[in-house]
Amino acid sequence: MEPQVVGEILAVLLFAVSIGTLMAGYPVAFTLGGTAVLFAAVGWLVGAFDPSFFATLAPRYFGIMQSEVLVAVPLFILMGTILERTKIAAALLTTMGQCFGPLRGGLAVSVVVVGGLLAASTGVVGATVVTMGLISLPAMLKARYDPGLAAGTICASGTLGQIIPPSTILIFVADFLQGANADAQMRKGNFAPDPVSVSDLFAGALLPGLILVVLYIAWVVAVANLRRDSAPPIRMTEDERAGLWRRILSSLIPPLFLILAVLGSILGGIATPTESASVGAVGAILLALARGELSLGRLMEAAESTLKTTTMVFVILFGASLFSLVFRTLGGELLIEETLHALPGGRFAAILAAMATMFILGFFLDTFEIIFIVVPLTAPALLMLDVDPLWLGVMIGVNLQTSFLTPPFGFALFYLRGVAPREVTTGAIYRGALPFVGLQLVALVLLWEFPPLATWLPRVLFK
Amino acid sequence: MPLLILLIRAIDGLSWLLGRLLSVALLVAALVCFANVVLRYGFGVAYVWMQDLYVWLNAAGFTLGAAFALKADAHVRVDVFYRPASARRKAWVEIAGVLFFLLPMLGVIAFWAWPAVRLSWLFGEGSQNVGGLPALYLLKTCVLGFCAGLALQGLAQAAKAALLLAGRPEHAPHLSEPRQG
Repeated sequence: MEPQVVGEILAVLLFAVSIGTLMAGYPVAFTLGGTAVLFAAVGWLVGAFDPSFFATLAPRYFGIMQSEVLVAVPLFILMGTILERTKIAAALLTTMGQCFGPLRGGLAVSVVVVGGLLAASTGVVGATVVTMGLISLPAMLKARYDPGLAAGTICASGTLGQIIPPSTILIFVADFLQGANADAQMRKGNFAPDPVSVSDLFAGALLPGLILVVLYIAWVVAVANLRRDSAPPIRMTEDERAGLWRRILSSLIPPLFLILAVLGSILGGIATPTESASVGAVGAILLALARGELSLGRLMEAAESTLKTTTMVFVILFGASLFSLVFRTLGGELLIEETLHALPGGRFAAILAAMATMFILGFFLDTFEIIFIVVPLTAPALLMLDVDPLWLGVMIGVNLQTSFLTPPFGFALFYLRGVAPREVTTGAIYRGALPFVGLQLVALVLLWEFPPLATWLPRVLFK
Repeated sequence: MPLLILLIRAIDGLSWLLGRLLSVALLVAALVCFANVVLRYGFGVAYVWMQDLYVWLNAAGFTLGAAFALKADAHVRVDVFYRPASARRKAWVEIAGVLFFLLPMLGVIAFWAWPAVRLSWLFGEGSQNVGGLPALYLLKTCVLGFCAGLALQGLAQAAKAALLLAGRPEHAPHLSEPRQG
């Protein structure tokens, strides 16, 4: 057999075997890198892999380490961790609940709104779902909400962090798309393509994110009014009512202002995402200090937690880079490109195939792994077909979000199961999540039919 | 046996200390970046070395901090089958993972990064940005530190797992207790 064919067979096997080795449960970053190295060794023995290609790895790592844009990731995580650890997020959620609570379905609406806002803070699905699951789920159950509706709302709102800026995931997606788009345009003879920046992608994701928020709220309000016992209004005690305005001023306005200022300065083109993120992080620290909730110990805890999450994410990027390098050198990337371009149905089928792959991977892997493996390998082929990079980035975000919400494997559902009281059955969580999956599909169809939803705002703001 | 346990404790201690230091460095990075913003938008001055500083501090954090994260079991796993598995099974996963995945991967990275790092030292390479920090070779060396730290901590984790298999589970509580979130 020709080395090229052997290489392509090995590439396909590498992908398939990796899914298997990942199931063993050793950390993803090292399993990906290690499996790739084993396949490279086999490829080298049969003459299908030239190990000198490994020399391109170090420059890639040095590039990641010197990227100014990617520093936004730890800074946003730090901001979110501090808001979460100092109970600022909790106070925000409780106060918001009291503002909307007297309305039918109001508590659920407050969960959606806060989920969208806390998006800022994490981008890590688990954190938001767990925070809201611990605070809002008991509150909603106490107010005699239907457990399914309550659970579904929390899961869905927790995934909003994937798409609503400043999501950390979008930072990486923009970084990859920028490189892939430059390559694709170059190959098509366009030597001065428009760059794809993080700010562009944030702006692109804003409208679709808001559409999701509106869809969620509309659904919750509709259910609350159609099935009157599913989401009754809450009655506040005299004490709670009396202190409400003070709490709005102290717990609601300041974090709201911080989050909106960070977002506004990016979308207004005033500051880069990294600069805004540092303002967000330092702002969160100051806010916590002002509320008297930040001891040195707690600050160190937040910093350590941020370091762990950041390291986890970047080490996956290191492992996935090694994986992609081997996969590519074995000829896998070309294979993907040929396959995507040869699908009957052209561009439509190619995008659908890539999206379906990510959706299914979403059952097993977390966002970062999927983004780091699939986007670098499929985006160049898709961009060659004149797919708009910003639109593609937003589609990827909404798609993965849907995947995390889909029973029985969705990540968000697992996280909520972990913190939900026993009386909320797993069946209720699944049942509650399903309508939101439907809403996600509505958003995906809207995006598909009207790409300007993702491409119009960046153009107006930055071009 | 006592020597092995001593070694494990030493490696754990080193990773922990490094993790504490790098956590402080992360806070410093946030402050430097913030100071950079204040200086630029408030006073119209910008220092390139400050930008290098927070970028490099972050890079040092996620490379040298990898061992700290491994010790804290913070690297994500696909835990569909791992979470419900028995402690002994987890111990085997840990040992096999270190031998077949972690060490080969780090070996490849270190072996092929070494020439590039060496070259950087020979040239006394500085930041590519004009007015940036000197000593880019220190940053590049972090890739080797990443490999060394992870290899050591990986071996320590494997040793803990081996102790559990040998009937000394007290050294591997992370394998026998149900994992936290």
